[in-house]
Parts: sequence; C-alpha cells; structure tokens
Amino acid sequence: MGLLSLLRKLRSNPDLELRILLLGLDNAGKTTLLKVLASEDITHITPTQGFNIKSVQSKGFKLNVWDIGGQRKIRPYWKNYFENTDLLIYVIDSADRKRFEETGEELTELLEEEKLAGVPVLIFANKQDLLTSAKASEIAEGLNLNSIRDREWQIQACSAVSGEGIKEGVEWMTKTCNNRKK
Amino acid sequence: MKLKRFLLRYYPPGIILEYEQGGVLKTKSIDLLDLSPTTNIDQVVEEITQKEPLITPSKVEQVKKLVARLQEKIGQKEDHQFYLFKVLRAHILPLTNVAFNKSGSSFITGSYDRTCKVWDTSSGEEIHTLDGHRNVVYAISFNNPYGDKIVTGSFDKTCRIWSSESGKCFHVYKGHTAEIVCVSFNPQSTLIATGSMDTSCRIWDVEKGTDIANLTGHTGEIISLSFSSTGSELITASFDHTVSLWDVRSHKRIHTLVGHKAEISSAQFNWDCSLIATGSMDGTCKLWDRASGRCTATLKAHADEILDVGFDCTGQRILTASADNTACCYNALTNQQISKFLGHEGEISKITFNPQGTLVMTASADKTARLWDPETGECKQVLEGHTDEIFSCAFNYEGTTIITGSKDNTCRVWR
Repeated sequence: MGLLSLLRKLRSNPDLELRILLLGLDNAGKTTLLKVLASEDITHITPTQGFNIKSVQSKGFKLNVWDIGGQRKIRPYWKNYFENTDLLIYVIDSADRKRFEETGEELTELLEEEKLAGVPVLIFANKQDLLTSAKASEIAEGLNLNSIRDREWQIQACSAVSGEGIKEGVEWMTKTCNNRKK
Repeated sequence: MKLKRFLLRYYPPGIILEYEQGGVLKTKSIDLLDLSPTTNIDQVVEEITQKEPLITPSKVEQVKKLVARLQEKIGQKEDHQFYLFKVLRAHILPLTNVAFNKSGSSFITGSYDRTCKVWDTSSGEEIHTLDGHRNVVYAISFNNPYGDKIVTGSFDKTCRIWSSESGKCFHVYKGHTAEIVCVSFNPQSTLIATGSMDTSCRIWDVEKGTDIANLTGHTGEIISLSFSSTGSELITASFDHTVSLWDVRSHKRIHTLVGHKAEISSAQFNWDCSLIATGSMDGTCKLWDRASGRCTATLKAHADEILDVGFDCTGQRILTASADNTACCYNALTNQQISKFLGHEGEISKITFNPQGTLVMTASADKTARLWDPETGECKQVLEGHTDEIFSCAFNYEGTTIITGSKDNTCRVWR
C-alpha cells in the first residue's frame, strides 16, 4: 500500500466516495467483517494493532472503510479518524454478553462526539452463527437504541463468518447515503 | 577577496572555499562531480585554478592534497554487511516517515499516534516526544546539516518547528486548509516549505514564525516538494499530473512541467539542478531540463505505477521504484538502463542511494527492505524482521546506519 496510497484515499471526492469508519470493542470481528466486505479470505486474522483500510465498490459508491483496532489502549486514538466520516459501522460480538455494558458505553460516547454529530450509524450484531448469541432485538433493547433521535440508525443481525446479513447491511448503507446526497 | 580556509565535502565530492569580501565571510563551492579514483589530480587542479581566481599558485599544493583525500574516500571499497542493531517499539500506532540528522547520531519518527519522537541512534533511547499535533504526524525533517531544529507537518493542517535539543516547540504555523503531507527546510535553514492536500504550497519564516508566501496554481493535492541545492528554487509535485518550478524569492512560477498522464508521486532535482526527475502513476519517469522546462526523456521500464524516484548524490544516475515489485537504475546522461532490481514480492514504495552511491535501498509492502548493487542489479542483502509493510527508510550521511519505519508500529536500526 505505501504511504502514497494513504494520501490517495485521503483525497476528497464527495460525489462518489464514502468514508466509513468501522469501530467496536476488540474481538468484535471488525477486521473479519472488513475482509468479508472486500471478498477476501478470513482464515488468518489477528488482533489489529493499528488500522486497515479497504475500498469496496457497491451500487455506484466507492466505500473506503477504515477498520481501527479496538483494544482498550488504542481506543483513545479512534478520535483521530472521526473527521469527514460519512457513516459509522459499530460491530458488537453478540455472544460476549459479559461485555454488553462496556460496548454500550463506548457506543454512547461515540454518539456524543461532536465530529460524528448526525453521522448515520449501522450496528452489526455480529457472530449470530454462535449458539449463545443474543438476538439483534435483544441488543437493541439492552443498548436503548430507540433513544437515538439525532441521526439515522439501523441494527443488523449478521455473521461475518457465514456472510449472513452482510448484504442487507451494505444495502442500508448505500440507501442511506443516497438519500443524504440528494 | 581573501581566501580564509578550505572545507571538504565528501558527498557529492567538492571543495568549499570560505573567503572574505568587503568584511563579510562568504562561501562558494567547487563541485567535482566527475571525480573518480583514477582521475589525474594535476589535471583537475589545473582546471580549478584556471576557473577560480581564489586559488593562487601558493595554494595549489594544498588543493592537490584535498583532491587526493576526496579520491581516497570515493575509492573506498565498502562491503559492509548490515545486521539488526535494535528494534524500537517506537509508537502505539503505525509510523509514517523517518529521518536522520546529518551525523546519524539521532533520528526522528512520525506516527499516526500524533507524535514525533527523537531517538538516540546508538542507545536506542527516546530523547524527546514532540507532542502537540492533534492528528497524524505525516511529514518530518531535520534542518540538516545543522540538525538543531525539526519540522513536522500534520493532518491537523498545521506545521510545527521544534528544538531537537530541548524538544520545545518554537512555532506553530497555521494557514493550510487541509492536511500537510510534505515539508522541507531550505538549505540555509531560514525557510520552511509545506505542501498540502489543499493544493497550495506555503513558505514560512523559521526565525519569526510567520507566513511569507502562499504558492497557488496547482489544481490537485501537492504530495512532494524539494528545494534546489542553492535554495533559490523549489519544485512541487501534484496529483493534478503536473510539477511546478518556483522562484523562492519572487514566489513566481518559472515553469509548469506538463506531460504525465496521471498523478505525480515524486519529483527530485539532481545536485547541480540542471535536471528534474518525476515519477508518475502513469508508469513512466520523465526527465526535464530545468532551464527550459522541457521534457528530455521518458523512461518506460515499468508495468505499473511509479511510486518513487531518486538521483545519486552527484546526479549521474536515476532510480525508479514501482508498484510492479521492481526497481530500476538508469544513467542520467544517456538515459540507458544500467540495472533492474528483481526479488521483492510486493510494491516498492521507497528507493534511495546511500550517500556514496555504492548501494541502493528499497522498501516494500513485502515487509522487507533490500540492498542492491546499482551496477549489476544483484541483491546484496535482505533486511527482514518487520511484521508489516515498510513505509519509510533512510541512510545516515556516512552510509553506515539504516533506519526502517513500518506499519507494524516499530522502527528498526541496522548497522
């Protein structure tokens, strides 16, 4: 990739390109999701130390997706990536019930960020392939998503491993952004 | 005019004359770019004395000794094997650029973690963390040869100047309306130039901390810039497919180099500033005559985008690095290909000669940096160990130490 392609991705082309930020706790499955979006192999994925960027073509949009590591010590750096974000994807490990509170707190903080004000948010309730996973409706209720009134939002049940629910999420993203551009 | 003393410059070979004129101390340089170990010393010195009135007959013997010293230095056969000296867990997020001071005693690293750090090369210890930018620190530089100041350009749209000794921030330069992605001191260390994604280049005063000029005219992002070796001219390379040559004093555009069919990735002067080399995403490298602004050659050895170009210190050879995983070396006079460097398994994003011109270093997405013989194209060494792609690499002035900066958040020192 090199530094030069970072600059090329930084270029603003507001008509066609969307800058999408992919956040969530560590081990939520952000990088796996990113690779599935880019139709890449997901067999060898390790915790993300820094970030990954991939461009995905979908329905006339070029989605530049920034996947930032979710470990606690990296989270303070999320804010470096807030500017010019068109859409936020927040990934939750639906089977990790012990950390629902922590993930809820992080999400609330993100939604309070000035630089992300009004940015639509898509919440992926990931790992639906695991037997112990909570349903999307359960999570929506637990996180009190219905109280979000300052932006468009959607919760989508999915499994990055099986691919289930991903297409629906991408469709919601392009539809939402299409409406906003008009 | 009265000659005070001689100074030697090894890379590129030259003799600097320090002299007094009207009570003011001045310097001028005699460049010996064609000097080789077999050159006839008497002949060289005779040519110098004919051209240079400061070299009186009484100085001839001394000049001969100096030329002999230069010849000896050039003739030194370097067969240095580099080994991994230190791994520095430099930053919490990926590194951007790295740079040495002239002696190589310290170096700096920029990072996505918003800081620039100053390191002691021999101990591997962190001397200072330059903290203050509110976004990625992308472009960094020492004011070599002095090395007492550091400039940093950030995605936060500002540029800062720091003391390399105390780590104190002298000035914050505000004015750009988008990310700053390239910075440079002029050779006298009195000015800073910054290039930005806002398509403009600005010139700033080092001492006063003020804005001197805003060079506008590009229609695309400026991603590379460099001063000529005298500091009187500046080139800016842009994503608008062109390169501009500016007069630093009048702030006027002297030439626009038009001809590439895609974004420019890099633009460099040769030492005497007679030539400019440009690399482009269109897969070609072009050479331009600086005086006329005309394209004199198009080098087409690559199957994909060219990501970096560079001259050797005397300006006699040119390097190109490409996304096709290969790199090339050319003769700058004949434009003939001298060698091709084959072996990398990923894009080559950076390429540079050592100051001596005896080795070429490439940095690649395949997580390695490699050292090559520029004459034969033979790979002399593979610097392995980084666990993610290498974004940047540099030699110190002596060519004895290498630093590599990677997306894996570490920096490695090789000696």
